[in-house]
Amino acid sequence: MTHAIRLAALAALFWAGATRAAAQGKPDFSGIWQALNTAAWDLQDHAGALGLPPGQGVVDGNEIPYQPWALARKQENFAKRRAADPAEANCFLPGVPRATYMPYPFEIVQTPKLIAITYEFAHALREIPMDGSAHSDLTDTWMGDSRGRWDGTTLVVDVTNFNDQTWFDQAGNFHSDALHVTERYTLADRDHISYEATIEDPKVFTRPWKISMPLYRRVEKNGKLLEYECVFYLQEERFKKAPFK
Amino acid sequence: MRSSLILGLVIAAAAVAQTYTPPRTADGQPDMQGMYSRNGVVGLEANPPENPIDPSDKNPLSVSARGDGLGPYPKIFQEGGSRIRQGRQQRRTGIVDPPDKKLPWRPEEDAKRRDFLLHMNPPADLRHVELNARCALPGLFQGEDGNNPYQFLQRAGEVVILYDYNHTTRVIHLDGRPHVGKNIRLFMGDSVGHWEGNTLTVDTTNFNGRVAYSREIPYLSDRLHTIERFTIVDANTVDYEVTIDDPVLFTKPWKVAGYFARSPKETQSLEFACAEGSQTLVNIFGKPPER
Repeated sequence: MTHAIRLAALAALFWAGATRAAAQGKPDFSGIWQALNTAAWDLQDHAGALGLPPGQGVVDGNEIPYQPWALARKQENFAKRRAADPAEANCFLPGVPRATYMPYPFEIVQTPKLIAITYEFAHALREIPMDGSAHSDLTDTWMGDSRGRWDGTTLVVDVTNFNDQTWFDQAGNFHSDALHVTERYTLADRDHISYEATIEDPKVFTRPWKISMPLYRRVEKNGKLLEYECVFYLQEERFKKAPFK
Repeated sequence: MRSSLILGLVIAAAAVAQTYTPPRTADGQPDMQGMYSRNGVVGLEANPPENPIDPSDKNPLSVSARGDGLGPYPKIFQEGGSRIRQGRQQRRTGIVDPPDKKLPWRPEEDAKRRDFLLHMNPPADLRHVELNARCALPGLFQGEDGNNPYQFLQRAGEVVILYDYNHTTRVIHLDGRPHVGKNIRLFMGDSVGHWEGNTLTVDTTNFNGRVAYSREIPYLSDRLHTIERFTIVDANTVDYEVTIDDPVLFTKPWKVAGYFARSPKETQSLEFACAEGSQTLVNIFGKPPER
């Protein structure tokens, strides 16, 4: 019974989304969004600790299917995370999908041929061509090369050409330069996106795996992205007493 | 005879330019979307101080003269500025008001910045490192003329400018909202705008007192207030003029001009990762103590 009600509710939401899309051609994801979970700290189920908000994981089945060597490497990363985390400790561009669920808002600017996503953290920016073009031949990038297409009313973004330098979270979950991410953005209703990202990396994992979470629209009146200039703040702290030689 | 014919043609060309009617976006804005190079915005004032940061091979501290194998910037970094030919029209560039380019400095502030420049190479401390070298957001002027393209996007209630330079984004709200609260200080400032005919006027405040106008004017104050005018001239050209009102440094506002020239169709924006590979501060100051 409960199950049937839930299904009906989902169907109603889907119908509302579909109607909206039909009216405008495609759903409009433009606006400011933010995740509200603890995936930025750890993608998997974890208990609380000092500075670590507890959370239920966002990985389907909760298991990240590391190859044995890679699991050992993840554990090393975890041990040295306070200094080694590329994003939180070093302020480097966070990569994809991590940029999506860091505790900072991001703005989607949607036009028919190009969708841009600008993130408050480190003013990271992605441009997602919607023109059917092939991936760039520029490899070794932090934010990847994104190409988008529509699957009905779902925005599907294929992301590749990554370097091997970013992590997925503060817990040291990582990937190689063979990372391939497929994101799916579906408008559940006006103020919610159902977000999924499938992670493939045959050098590190034994099979593809998937994360999923809702994204929430920031509905504040006059809301806007501000600046979180992580690099600048870190320099101010580390080089405050410079010169050192 | 010939000169009057040419004059006639010039006038005709000007008339054509004035009657250009840009297409409209879905929400009715004049449409200036696309990729452009910016040109001529950062110009020298009259009697500028000597540029302290000479990037040429002659400067022993410049990247291109380094002996550590890092070598000069790859040439491709300098080749992004190609643009569709502009014809014979002359566009206004650099400091246009006052016409003699003598900026209305408060004398004590001019002296301060000239002294500041003397401590920039080599930098005396972190405060004297130019912000571009720190991979900070560039403000409105230091995003680069020529090299790195800018992309305009428009959607209901917003004009958005994506800079290739340091993956910077400016969102200009057109919905009549007020500026953010005065304690919010920003490298890029807080921008609100509106359209008057084919001109987008953008009012920006809330600057953080750190961003530069040029290498010779290494900072503007946090009371900086800019009014920018983007005017669509033809299908490939957007004229640009900025009024710089900084009552801390200057006795009255001054103006610079430049233009955005549409880039060839095949132009792409590439990832501009900056801090991720930068050893600049360590090279200047040595390694900071371990955390």
